[in-house]
Amino acid sequence: MSDLLELHRIVKTFGGLSALGDVSFSVREGEILGIIGPNGAGKTTLFHVITAMLPPTQGEVLLGGERIDRLSPHAIARRGVSRTFQNLRLFSTMTAAENVMVGRHCRSRAGVWRSVLRTRGQREEERGILGKTRELLGLVGMGGIDAEQPAGSLPYGHQRRLEIARAMASGPRILLLDEPAAGMNESETQEMSLLIRRIRSLGVTILLIEHDMSLVMKTCDRLVVFNFGRKITEGPPEKVRDDPRVIEAYLGASEGDGNA
Amino acid sequence: MGPEWINPYHLQVASFAFINVILGVSIYVTLATGQLSLGNAGFMGIGAYAAALLSTRYGCPIPAGIVLGGLFAGIAGILVGIPSLRLSGVYLAIATLGSGEVLRAVLVNWESLTGGAVGIAAIPQMGRVLLSRAREAGFAPESIGLRNNQFIGISVFLILFVCAFLAVLFFLRLGRTRVGRAYAAIKLDEKAAEAAGIPVTYYKVLAFSQGAMLAGFAGALYAHTTSFVSPSDFTYHRAVEILVFAVFGGSEHLLGPVFGAAFLTMLPEALRSVSDYRDILYGILLVLTMVFRPQGVLDPPLLRGFARFRRKGKA
Repeated sequence: MSDLLELHRIVKTFGGLSALGDVSFSVREGEILGIIGPNGAGKTTLFHVITAMLPPTQGEVLLGGERIDRLSPHAIARRGVSRTFQNLRLFSTMTAAENVMVGRHCRSRAGVWRSVLRTRGQREEERGILGKTRELLGLVGMGGIDAEQPAGSLPYGHQRRLEIARAMASGPRILLLDEPAAGMNESETQEMSLLIRRIRSLGVTILLIEHDMSLVMKTCDRLVVFNFGRKITEGPPEKVRDDPRVIEAYLGASEGDGNA
Repeated sequence: MGPEWINPYHLQVASFAFINVILGVSIYVTLATGQLSLGNAGFMGIGAYAAALLSTRYGCPIPAGIVLGGLFAGIAGILVGIPSLRLSGVYLAIATLGSGEVLRAVLVNWESLTGGAVGIAAIPQMGRVLLSRAREAGFAPESIGLRNNQFIGISVFLILFVCAFLAVLFFLRLGRTRVGRAYAAIKLDEKAAEAAGIPVTYYKVLAFSQGAMLAGFAGALYAHTTSFVSPSDFTYHRAVEILVFAVFGGSEHLLGPVFGAAFLTMLPEALRSVSDYRDILYGILLVLTMVFRPQGVLDPPLLRGFARFRRKGKA
């Protein structure tokens, strides 16, 4: 398998504070790669850097061998990198369907005049957008009545899945999921794991930040572990789980004093 | 002679209402992307002066002058928009208000071109031009029982009605398409819109210049309706008036500012019988709106309610 997304020596500082220090790793085409680590380890900052919402202080981000770290976020979405947010960022007063349709923006073209004149090409394109929207709402299990509800009024779990549908609408090669199972119960988490694997089976590579270890262990092919803005290790889930550095990262802070 | 119920004065009030409707749409378009522009009075001035100068100095036909007036204002909108759109909220409002005032200062001081504070008079009035064309073509308004000023009033009324109608239709249609969805997404969450693949800056500048172009278009129509323009027509009073259309009518749906513009233009006429208290009543009305409908008179839930009611009526 070839590398789809490569991070080369990424450094991100805020003033004097280092959020990411010299981070390098690759995401292989077609895998589900999990990013784990304690709170404040820099996982979400890493997502912001990959999607250019925060420019890296140093280092390079490559997609399919091409640098993308100088592009604007919308251009990166167009190249095929799509994301969800840790704290949901849906367009809350739009309907669920409209949210997904917005996500289709960069794969459609009708401008002002064609939109106002309703040319045949524009109508066909709108039909295509609607079709894709229905397909994606179906994929995340939100067909039917939900589609016409304002996104903000949907149950929390549905909002999480709707955000994934919106991210999928841009036709990504790689999908970045920031804690998709946060706040979910066990059966919802189970469903989320199934959904993530189904999306992978559609040919989309997945980069996943998650705290729920049962989800991570079951879903991911490989894990990258962060602590204090640095990668401490990477490898298959079962190996990472038993790595003493990982255990220390998670438990060291609270139990360290007693053992020392 | 002529049917007495056709009152040229009432027609003129209605004509100004249509111009104001276009101005209402112009502020809505920029608000649709979440930006408050108070520069539309200035852009209206650009359109009005462009049309006035093109027709009085260069003999440009009125329709071409009106289109060019809108285009000039739209270009000015791009030029003002690109630097201003780094700002948002009140800062953007202040910057645009300021740029509108700068434009007005240019109109006052560039005397060789604009006639300074005196303004430009004797701009061809579109109704009168139409009347003389009609007479040249052998048509006399008397033949259908209209006085000259009635014919002029009606033709201006109809032209402005069509213009306002097209402006509203244009942006109603745009609202339900890919571009309209992009505007709405930017208004609700800029970061999420950008991450979803929408070039936010492009659409913000587009909306801003569309608003400027519409305001310029309204200004050009205004010049050819009143046949006189001066810098005092485009002060911040005008900017605030346009803002009030949106605040009173509602800014969540295109029909809000449209209703606000039409209603607030006609209201003073309806209150003529109590003319001493007119401004007081106007003020009370605005205060009551703020208290009881801070979102404006028309908002999407109310409009959805109307739509349901109509469907029930039909069934």
